[in-house]
Amino acid sequence: MMASDTTTDQPFVQGPFVDRRNTARRAHLWLGLLLVLVSLASLAVGASGTSLWGALLKLAQGDALTLTERVVLWDIRAPRLVMGICVGSALAVSGAVMQGLFRNPLADPGILGVTTGATLGAICVIVLGATLPAFVQATLGAGPLPVAAFLGAWGSMLLLYRVSTRAGRTSVATMLLAGIALSALFAAFSGVLIFLADDMQLRELTFWSLGSLAGASWVKLSIAAPVIVVSLMLACTLGHGLNGLALGEAAAHHMGIPVERTKTIAILAVSAATGTAVAVSGGIGFIGIVVPHLLRLATGPDHRGLLVNAGLLGASLLLAADMIARVVVSPAELPIGILTALLGSPVFLWILLRKRGLVDM
Amino acid sequence: MKRRSLMLGLVTLALPLGALAQPYDTSRVVAIGGATTEIVYALGAADKLVARDSTSTFPARAQTLPDIGYMRALAAEGVLSVQPTLILTEPGAGPPETISVLQAASVPMVVVPAPFSGEGILAKITAIGDALGIPDKAQMLSDQVRAGLDDVATQVANDDTAPKRVLFVLSTQGGRIMASGTNTAADGIIAMAGGINAIDQFEGYRQLTAEAIAVAAPDVVLMMDREGDHASTAEALFAIPEMATTPAAQTGALVKMDGLLLLGFGPRTPQAAQALHDVLQGQG
Amino acid sequence: MLIANNISVSYGPKKVLHGLNVAAQPGSLTAIVGPNGSGKTTLMRALTGDVPFDGTIMLGDTDIATAKPYDLAARRAVLPQATPLSFPFQAVEVVRLGLRGGIETNDRLALTALSRVGLDGYANRFYQELSGGEQQRVQLARVLCQVWRPVVGGVPRWLFLDEPVSSLDIGHQLTVMQIARDFARAGGGVVAVMHDLNLSAMFAHQVVLMQSGRIIGHGTPDQVLSDAQVSRAYGCDIRTSTAPMDGGWFMLPQAAGGEPELPVTQRA
Repeated sequence: MMASDTTTDQPFVQGPFVDRRNTARRAHLWLGLLLVLVSLASLAVGASGTSLWGALLKLAQGDALTLTERVVLWDIRAPRLVMGICVGSALAVSGAVMQGLFRNPLADPGILGVTTGATLGAICVIVLGATLPAFVQATLGAGPLPVAAFLGAWGSMLLLYRVSTRAGRTSVATMLLAGIALSALFAAFSGVLIFLADDMQLRELTFWSLGSLAGASWVKLSIAAPVIVVSLMLACTLGHGLNGLALGEAAAHHMGIPVERTKTIAILAVSAATGTAVAVSGGIGFIGIVVPHLLRLATGPDHRGLLVNAGLLGASLLLAADMIARVVVSPAELPIGILTALLGSPVFLWILLRKRGLVDM
Repeated sequence: MKRRSLMLGLVTLALPLGALAQPYDTSRVVAIGGATTEIVYALGAADKLVARDSTSTFPARAQTLPDIGYMRALAAEGVLSVQPTLILTEPGAGPPETISVLQAASVPMVVVPAPFSGEGILAKITAIGDALGIPDKAQMLSDQVRAGLDDVATQVANDDTAPKRVLFVLSTQGGRIMASGTNTAADGIIAMAGGINAIDQFEGYRQLTAEAIAVAAPDVVLMMDREGDHASTAEALFAIPEMATTPAAQTGALVKMDGLLLLGFGPRTPQAAQALHDVLQGQG
Repeated sequence: MLIANNISVSYGPKKVLHGLNVAAQPGSLTAIVGPNGSGKTTLMRALTGDVPFDGTIMLGDTDIATAKPYDLAARRAVLPQATPLSFPFQAVEVVRLGLRGGIETNDRLALTALSRVGLDGYANRFYQELSGGEQQRVQLARVLCQVWRPVVGGVPRWLFLDEPVSSLDIGHQLTVMQIARDFARAGGGVVAVMHDLNLSAMFAHQVVLMQSGRIIGHGTPDQVLSDAQVSRAYGCDIRTSTAPMDGGWFMLPQAAGGEPELPVTQRA
């Protein structure tokens, strides 16, 4: 039968068949639309009651905006919107990539020690920052903390990579275990610094760890946004590679996928994106785990569509959470990490309970 | 009135305390810091306040004002939502991004000096009075406070008993004693009340080992009167092994006072110092 | 031609394969058999480039040690023993992965392949919910998609099967071996590591018998699978082509009558 078989015109009778790739593609449109709507809402909602619509009307009529309107819309809400999109998509896409790389649906973006490294960097600045020479403090201004956090994140990844790579081959299993060891080490260092910290510093650190988009500024974004955008674009090229890796590294190799290169790009992209996100917004959890899961349930685990959809959905969810954080205890503000945990954990539990058999390691 | 330019801590904060009092629009004032709020109320300017921070708990009616949150984690839009015309703050407000947005929105911010001493309180009062444009009332309050402080200082000078060793305990959570060293508000008020801080080896608040407590040998333990983990009865406190062998444990000498009253370094500090002094003397 | 010269593999200090020479023809099915620990799987790993080896392996005119992964993927496909999956892929999505690795462009091939392995209608079933045998057949469908046409431009393509029927029942074992044999008949090359000597004897044109990292027999099934060789290799007294002396129940795949009952689309 095979000898006479031609490839294209085998007449075939098949019952109704659902191609989930179409579902994933349609989701691009829907999620893109959702993001646009949530972005507009994010610009319109805020504690100060400044109206986006009002401001747009004024501009259309050629009137000037008040100083407050300008500051609120341009210096507060707009950078926050861009930061929310960058951080939300960075965390969600990184989560999806890490889950694919480790073949483990419970992996989160911090699995490479990126979050603990960033926290250590932040703690160093918070506790030891006063000992920096005065001129350094003055020139860096608000800078040292995000820079230190990013260096901590990147340093952690580099260390893990060196430990797990031999003769050009990166062992993902070694990385996982080394990541646990490294996180413990960083936690110990952090502990020493926490012990040395005074009351005020401890509170500052607590707030940083809870995560917030409040530090959004155009200056920060001018550095953070390009890094995240480039990393995510890089990550989105990994779709087919991650699909193949799901079958195991040997099978992926047999299918012609450049396994080591895929792993290296994944690690670099995730570290850059997550490291930057955590450096500018602190520890925001659950987006990285929950978003890919939800999408896999809805549109399938094919990474080619999953990564893009994760970026869109992660951004929307974070913006929505941020809107709540900004108004629910106005004029104060809730750290956004609390909200993502409050909303994320029940959703995560629901996912696990609903489809018991699908988390199979 | 001689004014010291005491710009402690964060130099990144906004408009400096000018020697020339600029006329600020004081119709909608935001007060940040427990003592700052207290002083505004004591100056009779409470009608100008539109919001306060989470540490401003006295007087009780201050708590009816909108709360803009923890002073080091302010939300820019939240602060702007109360449409402030002037912000009075103790050093340490942040994060820096919020401060710069408030600057961009042209909201004047006056940073009030806050050292832990009697002079420091008077400087605060003067600074706030100048900012609010009521230097006369500030002078009156200042004189009143100075008189109270001088009174306590005289009593302390006339004490004939040896000064008591006082250990200020911040928390006993998890059986760990977190206590105050030097250069804190607790250290300041203890000195004002004529006591000696039992700890002088470090600055700030630190966890103490059993040996450190033994060396400190406090005669009196001072704590804040707060709900939750920091709350502790004398029995519970002296049941902790490290504390049980102190001289304070022999007499069950635990003094608890309201946190803001004790440590705020505001207009009620003379009363706090007096009360603490009396308790310390009463222990004799 | 698949020609492996002087292949040695060591795991650390332990030498597992001792200078083997193996050759396989396109158009034929070569079975590698032997007891546990004989090195069959290691040899397969060397042939598919998964393990470093000394010696040379030529697939046609390509040296597999230096070839690029995508070049090799266009020439040969590998069926692993078992593949667990951590994500909820559907059967057809798994099969489609094979298409991407190969050179075919027709999407519908995935469905055809599923039907070929007897999994008609399984397209939207979740891989994780299938039985071991069904999962193995899905993998076979994927592998077939990668090298759908056994000969392309006069160059034969290859299937490497690592114990392809170990978890299957007799009916499906026959189906899978027939697919492999048909691939060979159409001009492709097939190399399979096999546990089952009966099936090897039925379907293989050439058998390579291994023991302790060495090849002790290389030829047609009749030549290699003699009583003496087999007993020596497996370490127990074995008599081939003999009914049991006490006359008990036995069943041989060779005696399975005709084609097993399989869905209509299977029949030529």
